[in-house]
Amino acid sequence: MANASGFFTHPSISSMRTRTHLPITVSGSGLRVSKRFSKRVLCSSLSSLDNNASPSQYRPPRLVPSGCKLIGSGSAVPSLLISNDDLAKIVDTNDEWIATRTGIRNRRVVSGKDSLVGLAVEAATKALEMAEVSPEDIDLVLMCTSTPDDLFGAAPQIQKALGCTKNPLAYDITAACSGFVLGLVSAACHIRGGGFKNVLVIGADSLSRFVDWTDRGTCILFGDAAGAVVVQACDIEDDGLYSFDVHSDGDGRRHLNASVKESQTDGALSSNGSALGDFPPKQSSYSCIQMNGQEVFRFAVKCVPQSLESALQKAGLPASSIDWLLLHQANQRILDSVATRLQFPPERVISNLANYGNTSAASIPLALDEAVRSGKVKPGHTIATSGFGAGLTWGSAIVRWR
Amino acid sequence: MANASSGFFTPPSVSSSKRGRTTHLPVRLSGSAFCVSKRILCCSSLHNHPSPSPPSQYRPPRIVPSGCKLIGSGSAVPSLLISNDDLAKIVDTNDEWIASRTSIRNRRVVSGKDSLVGLAVEAATKALEMAEVLPQDVDLVLMCTSTPDDLFGAAPQIQKALGCTKNPLAYDITAACSGFVLGLVSAACHIRGGGFKNVLVIGADSLSRFVDWTDRGSCILFGDAAAAVVVQACDIEDDGLFSFDVHSDGDGRRHLNASIKDSQTNGALSSDGSVLADFPPKQASYSCIQMNGKEVFRFAVKSVPQSIESALQKAGLPASSIDWLLLHQANQRIIDSVATRLQFPPERVISNLANYGNTSAASIPLALDEAVRSGKVKPGHTIAASGFGAGLTWGSAIIRWR
Repeated sequence: MANASGFFTHPSISSMRTRTHLPITVSGSGLRVSKRFSKRVLCSSLSSLDNNASPSQYRPPRLVPSGCKLIGSGSAVPSLLISNDDLAKIVDTNDEWIATRTGIRNRRVVSGKDSLVGLAVEAATKALEMAEVSPEDIDLVLMCTSTPDDLFGAAPQIQKALGCTKNPLAYDITAACSGFVLGLVSAACHIRGGGFKNVLVIGADSLSRFVDWTDRGTCILFGDAAGAVVVQACDIEDDGLYSFDVHSDGDGRRHLNASVKESQTDGALSSNGSALGDFPPKQSSYSCIQMNGQEVFRFAVKCVPQSLESALQKAGLPASSIDWLLLHQANQRILDSVATRLQFPPERVISNLANYGNTSAASIPLALDEAVRSGKVKPGHTIATSGFGAGLTWGSAIVRWR
Repeated sequence: MANASSGFFTPPSVSSSKRGRTTHLPVRLSGSAFCVSKRILCCSSLHNHPSPSPPSQYRPPRIVPSGCKLIGSGSAVPSLLISNDDLAKIVDTNDEWIASRTSIRNRRVVSGKDSLVGLAVEAATKALEMAEVLPQDVDLVLMCTSTPDDLFGAAPQIQKALGCTKNPLAYDITAACSGFVLGLVSAACHIRGGGFKNVLVIGADSLSRFVDWTDRGSCILFGDAAAAVVVQACDIEDDGLFSFDVHSDGDGRRHLNASIKDSQTNGALSSDGSVLADFPPKQASYSCIQMNGKEVFRFAVKSVPQSIESALQKAGLPASSIDWLLLHQANQRIIDSVATRLQFPPERVISNLANYGNTSAASIPLALDEAVRSGKVKPGHTIAASGFGAGLTWGSAIIRWR
């Protein structure tokens, strides 16, 4: 069912308050109970609208925990390709300088009638097709982005355009380049802890709209894209999210941000009679991306290996048992440094930023999708993935593909 | 532990005895690790053995489900008070017109050195104090807002300013006026399904920065505020989130939005040699709030009662057993209409929008906090809460206070 609903609390359960585990599974809109208990609980549930029932009598039933697994991926990029040579025409840079320092050769940029929603819908559609899940079976859409087409978020537009006819919840997670990994963790929590069944996690950004294209330090780095995965509930034995490790440090915000610009104001009087220079506020907007590249680099090469090691330890898995290292595609030097720290051989490191640059929340699912469709990442493969960026925020997860 | 949460362990020892069975291991999922029985501990110490087992042998342990409960609230509003009479000085309106149609008399607006982060920190600090939870014990900060101080999100700044020294994850949920209810659901899912222990859910918005102050149809409605609750893990028997019902409908976006403005561009050449009028893009910004009030009103008075009724049914509770109706504080006529539909007597309906207007994601926790601190809402009271707004998105939850 597309409408997830969380837990039931039945009055009949209160008499079963001993720690027996009822074989009850949380489903999209209700509970399914085993045959043994069904008659008693179902009979009680028929009287669930007993007007004498009070909340103090309710005890939530035990739940059979659910697992979750990744079952489909998709991606989409704008058609406009901007090479390093193109950038050299508008800022003082060159192909060799960019490529040696970042690994980036080309990036895609939204233009004309492109929209982030359009890219996200294309990516999500492909992911749903691979997963063999219909849009009407989606019960949660998580759009991970910092650059939505609407201040109030992009997810509902995507939900509509995908044809999710049962009005599943759709909202945005705003967490910059860590967004997709946080979206995966959130999807897992909603499945395991909230009864959701088919969660679409989209990572999409069009940072080109917030880049200062006269600043050669930043404009060479970023590109636009969308990537998506379908995360589905499954038996706990088949669970595919082995562990995660997630953090933020707001102290590092000064190294990477896009602040709201202070409003200019006209004078006006308020109720207390004094002239106030601040009302009404003029409309706000967000600054271009400001970044201290050196500090962000230092943060990434220090925190990402620590986080991955922590996630590996929690999963009880050595790095040598992991098939692929899939990092946020920010800079090849970061990828190389992390891979070396963790002793991942280069052939097991997924990298496509040469073609797309840093696509923020899209980068991990975009690289994953290309690796899946090229046959590199196969069903059963384990992936150590890590997103990191503005916040500062960083998060790692050990996942199995299918 | 402030460092959550790590999701599931998969100790290798579990596989041989548990494959295919449904016995429940007495394993409790804690903030950063599992507490397991002696048997598994002995086996798990072997996971540092040099010959790694492939991940396919790993089976996640059964987990004793956790409950969650609301244990603290706090709120903060800017000092600058703007009355209906103040507004009458800058747009063609008057106090009687505004009050009779919306019930709003005053609202607060950020000014001078105010910031949304500052308000959120004040609200969160009060909530933590009431909850008797230290900042260093918070393991997740969910900031529900559509108007952050930074394009990349506001939560990490709040985390830093609160003094959460253990780098807990902090990120934004962007879901307009439904944000807080979705944040509560997300907190519950992260606690029940991800091992988090102390989640700070903040609803905060400064819509004044995105309102057209020359448009008397919308500028009279909105105000700025921040409020927070602490959601804590607890025994399942003590669970305080009885049910929820959440939806989106992107088709309704046309009635309420703040769209990204089309970039104007300079001409430039791309790699294929043709002149492209769209590159590089000029910086984007977001429009003022655009709203078809009539359509949004119709949506609210239709969808909100349905959603609450659905949540009540899933909880197995009649409306008569609920102590308080707590709706997003958009318009008194909406509140009255919903209360009438659900047969809630006026004395059990929480309303404070006369003083603050529509504060978007802050409105529910702000009203909750005032009702708690005034003694109206007492420990053990049940609340039917419903947020609704841009998306269109709407969500209801049946919760117990403490």
